[in-house]
Parts: sequence; C-alpha cells; structure tokens
Amino acid sequence: MHNLRSVARLRSSWNLPGLCLLVFLGLSWELLVDLNVISYEFLPSPSQVAVAGERLISSGELGRNAAHTLVATLVGWIIAAVVGISVGILLGLSRVAWGFSVATIEVLRALPAIAFVPVAILVFGFSLEMELIVVVFVSQWPILINTIEGVRSVTPAHQDVARIMRLGRLEHIRKIVLPSAAPHVIVGLQLGLALALALAIVAEMLGNPAGIGYALSTQQLALQPENMFAYVVVTGLLGLVLNAGFLRLAALLFPALTALPEERV
Amino acid sequence: MTAGEGVRRRSAAESKRLPSVPPLRGLLPLVLVLAIWELVQREQSPYVPRPSLWVHAVAELWREGVLAPAVVATLKTFALSLTVATVLGAIIGVVVGRSRFVDRLSGPLLDYCRVMPAAAVVPLAVLFAGYTENMKVAVVVFSAIWPILLQVRQSARLLSPDLLGVARSLQLSRLATARKIYFPSLLPAVFLGLRVAAPTVLVIVLLVEITTVVPGVGAQIARAQQNFDTASAYGLVCVVGILALLVNALISLLEGYVLRYRPQRS
Repeated sequence: MHNLRSVARLRSSWNLPGLCLLVFLGLSWELLVDLNVISYEFLPSPSQVAVAGERLISSGELGRNAAHTLVATLVGWIIAAVVGISVGILLGLSRVAWGFSVATIEVLRALPAIAFVPVAILVFGFSLEMELIVVVFVSQWPILINTIEGVRSVTPAHQDVARIMRLGRLEHIRKIVLPSAAPHVIVGLQLGLALALALAIVAEMLGNPAGIGYALSTQQLALQPENMFAYVVVTGLLGLVLNAGFLRLAALLFPALTALPEERV
Repeated sequence: MTAGEGVRRRSAAESKRLPSVPPLRGLLPLVLVLAIWELVQREQSPYVPRPSLWVHAVAELWREGVLAPAVVATLKTFALSLTVATVLGAIIGVVVGRSRFVDRLSGPLLDYCRVMPAAAVVPLAVLFAGYTENMKVAVVVFSAIWPILLQVRQSARLLSPDLLGVARSLQLSRLATARKIYFPSLLPAVFLGLRVAAPTVLVIVLLVEITTVVPGVGAQIARAQQNFDTASAYGLVCVVGILALLVNALISLLEGYVLRYRPQRS
C-alpha cells in the first residue's frame, strides 16, 4: 500500500526540490536545442512541443483523441473489474473450481498481450470492439489473481464469526469475504488500470484508427516530432491522472486501508 | 485496523498457502476448448482456423527457416535488454533509495516515467534511433527498468541500520560493504522486480518488432496479420506463449538458486 501513502505524502507537501529538478531539466533541454548544442534532426525544444500541444488542443484534435483513449481504457477496465472480481471470488471460495482452472489461467496470463493484438485485429477488424477486447483480456488478470489471493486471506477467526452468526452465502461474501479481500483487490485494480491504458494505446497504434495511439503512429509517419512529443506528454499525464484519481477514490472509499502495514511497492 | 490484525491476517494467509506449482488438472478447460474448437471447426475459416492448422502453419515457417532466426533474434534482444535494465535499475535504485535528498529530488520525475505506458515511447524512439538493434534495446530498457528500480529503491530505503552498523564496526571497505551488506540484502528486491519486468520486456520487444518490422517473432506475427494468414498468427501467438512460460520458469529457477542462502520465502 506504499502508493496510497505516497499520494497522501504528495498531498501534504509540495515536493519543491523534485519540481525544481523537472523545471531544470526542461530549461536545459530548451537551451541545448535552441543554442544548437545538440542538433538532432527530430528533437524539438520544449517550447516547440508546447506550441504544438497548444495547436492540437485548440483544433480539438488532442481532446478528441484523449477522450477516446480515456473512454476505451475506463470501459475496458470496468468490464475487466467486474469479470475479474466475480470470477476471483468464485475461484477463491471453491477449491475445486480453483484446481480445475488455475493452470489454464496461468498459461493464458503468460501469453504476452501484444502478440494477441494482431490476432484480435484479424478476427474483429480495425474496430473499437477489438480495442476493448484486448484491454479487457489483458487487464483482468491482475484483478483476478489479486482477488483470489484476497479471498483466501480471510482469517479463520472471521470465518468462525460467519459460522457463529449463521450468515447466508451472499451475506458471507458481502460482510466477511469482500472486506477482507479489499486491500488485495485494490492493488489488482490499480495494476489493471495501468495495463488497460497501455493496451488501449497499443491497440490503437496497431489496429483501431482512433485515439492517442493512432495519433502517435500517424505523427510518426508524418515526421511531426513536436506533435508526437505533445502526445507522449499527454499520455504520461493521462497515466498520472488515472493512477492518482484511482488512489484518491480508493482512499476515499476505504480510508482504513491507508493505515495498513506496507505490503508491496 | 490495528497492527495485530495485520500480523494475524498474514499468518492466516500463510497457513492456507496454495501449492507453488498449480495442479495439472487445471489445464482441463484449455484442453477442452481447443479440442472442441478442433472438432467443430471443420471447414476452412478465415477467422478461427482449427488448432491443427496452427501447428501446420508453424511447422511450415520452421521448414522455410524463418522461425528459428526470428526466435533467436527476439530472445537475444530480450536477454540483452533485461540484463541492462536489471543492472541499471539496481544501481539507480540503490543510489536513490540510500539518499533522502536524491530520493525526494527524483520522486516526481520517476513517478511520471513510471506511469508512462512504454508503448507510447516506441514511435518516438523509432523516429530518433531508426530501425536498429540499439533502438530496440533502448526502448525496452526504458520501459522495463521501473519495476526493478522501484523495488530496489524501496528495499534500500528500508535497509536495516544495524547491518550498516555492523559494516562500520568491522571497518569494512566501501567495496566490501557493497559486496557483503548491500548485495545480499537487496538481491531479493532485484528478483522481485525482475519477475515483474520480464513479461513487460517480452511485450515491448514484440511491440517494437511489430511496429517497426525489425526482424524477430513480432515481425513474423505482423506479417501473418498483414497477409491474413490467420493460422500462422494463432500459431505464432502460441510460440510466443511458450517462450514466455519458459522465461518465467527460468527466472524462478535462477531466483531459487541465487537466493538459496536465504530462509524460505514466506
């Protein structure tokens, strides 16, 4: 839960030296390019990138592409979350189901996601469906795996409580299993969100002609490095916003989790 | 949520620990799906050719002498990039994790680079470095270095002051401290990062090969897609999957061997 904490820390105080370093790096990049100290054919200066970004924003192109990628990421991620969490609860609770499926999951999960994209393009064409299927297929794994782990982490004491209270199956899941599994599920959801964004961009680069990924590959072919840099910066910002937004939301919904002992980075 | 509860939670999870090797019967669903697929799909389908055709297509590629060099090229880039990423990530991680100031200084930059999807950087790198082997390695290292760097940074932050005290009491030289204190205590973190990084590295290697058609398995997959050679595409995906499984197994073996001095992981 290191990340939840680091967000809390970030909020509590502005990291001045860190921001100074960013500004310093940006300025030196600008100077190096402007003074022709490094002259690379395709290296724009930050100011050129900013101008390009401004142009892309005012023409509405950047907003449109970013919105497409954002929507595809979020929709895919939500589907993956529903699938991953429900299947995860099932496999976490039933040892038989787990035994008969986990090896399959491990094999499919090991498939490098990217190799799957050309096949998805062949089957579903250059479409939004293709993009969503790729996003869901890949981002569900961490959610599924972490949910199984979380469901299995219910303490014997809590299980005894459920038995003593004679909770029904649904009640048991809602009141005992889900709260215990929540920290793991949240980690899985966070990993899944990062994957969803990455895969949306890959799917757009290779297949679906829309969004940031498509813009990146067309700008590359058009030899427009300043536009590409602008899109890369936006992509990073999108990643930051999604990650921070998710952690903020998680901290808001489950304030107790921020106090958990450090489990993983 | 009290600290005591956290401890109990962990011990309960341990007592119910799952076997480290999943039972083989778990492959049943996969085998069933493939078998039904094979039986149902009798005519030639442009979208979902039956599995036996995948095998044919891959065997065909093998006979043409295309597959073996592609696999070797991909694995070579993979190994080279992973090695560079591990060494660089570990060194930067230690430097950042051991110094409060550097840690704070580099925090925002590292956070930004970490959330940046590596795929977005590939077109940029293509533009800069052209379609070369070096470009491939550079992009892959950039994307794979983060898990290792962050794990090592975290581990270096939490390095026990007692151990460092021991080094001081024994008046170990800098080199000896690095070798006897830092190395053994940070190695598990390196492996943890490596496990996360290895699949990413494979993905990015393939992505670079697919987008740039630098020789490799990725380029083969891209060609299969462009030629609507669906059977080859499916077959190559399986080949890549097998490569991924082998790589994972290899890393687990290596981890078990290198970290054998440590008590069993809990």
